[in-house]
Amino acid sequence: MTVAIATVVHAGTRENLPRFLHFIEATCARIEADADTKYALHLAMEEVCTNLIVHGYRKGAAGPIEVAVYDECEKVTIVIRDRAPPFDPVRAPSPDLTSDVEHRPTGGLGLYLVKKVMDEVDYVPDTPSGNVLTLVKRKS
Amino acid sequence: MEIELRLSGGITVVGIRGSVDGLTADDLMRTLSARVSEGAVRLVADCSALDYTSSAGLRSLLGAVKLARQHGGDLRLAAIQPPVLRVLDLSGFTGILKYYPDVETAVVSFAEPA
Repeated sequence: MTVAIATVVHAGTRENLPRFLHFIEATCARIEADADTKYALHLAMEEVCTNLIVHGYRKGAAGPIEVAVYDECEKVTIVIRDRAPPFDPVRAPSPDLTSDVEHRPTGGLGLYLVKKVMDEVDYVPDTPSGNVLTLVKRKS
Repeated sequence: MEIELRLSGGITVVGIRGSVDGLTADDLMRTLSARVSEGAVRLVADCSALDYTSSAGLRSLLGAVKLARQHGGDLRLAAIQPPVLRVLDLSGFTGILKYYPDVETAVVSFAEPA
């Protein structure tokens, strides 16, 4: 793995969500990401961080969310580490995409979209606790 | 995100500029809900300047569509940009809400029999 070109760590709170989004916007500008890559990375950051803020850290004080971005010729990789209880997004069930408007639930869409717009999504538990999520987007 | 409201032949056109995400989706929902509660139940979202949405944005759009339909109207989308359309499509939303290539066509659609 190459050296990260950008890293950030903030507490996983709603107040910090804009900071994570600004970080990924600035990083995309720095690496001159194409529009498709920029959209995918922004979406992935928003959905994963929001999930950690709303669910992972919902009990007790919010722990950290650490993000590192690696830029290579053919791909961009984001690695997101946290100290929340174990949760594997790769195995999370897909949402209901077939019900009509009245009965359509909206939970689970965020992580589903991440798995669709990113080319690779890998999960491992961190030690001694927490999670490590690796997201890869191949450049156009 | 900026929202601009205008009337077109009795239809409320809601121009959405920028991003509808976790930081702005609630504002959009509040604006749309307020219009519906005031009796403006036939709405068109002008998405020509909407350049990003996430699951939070989708939730607010779905909520607004449900609310408008419960009051006998609808929220229809117009001029959706390709990256946003892709997200709507991935989420299965293009199968449950009505969308059109431009605002005029969306407005006229309300005149057609259901």
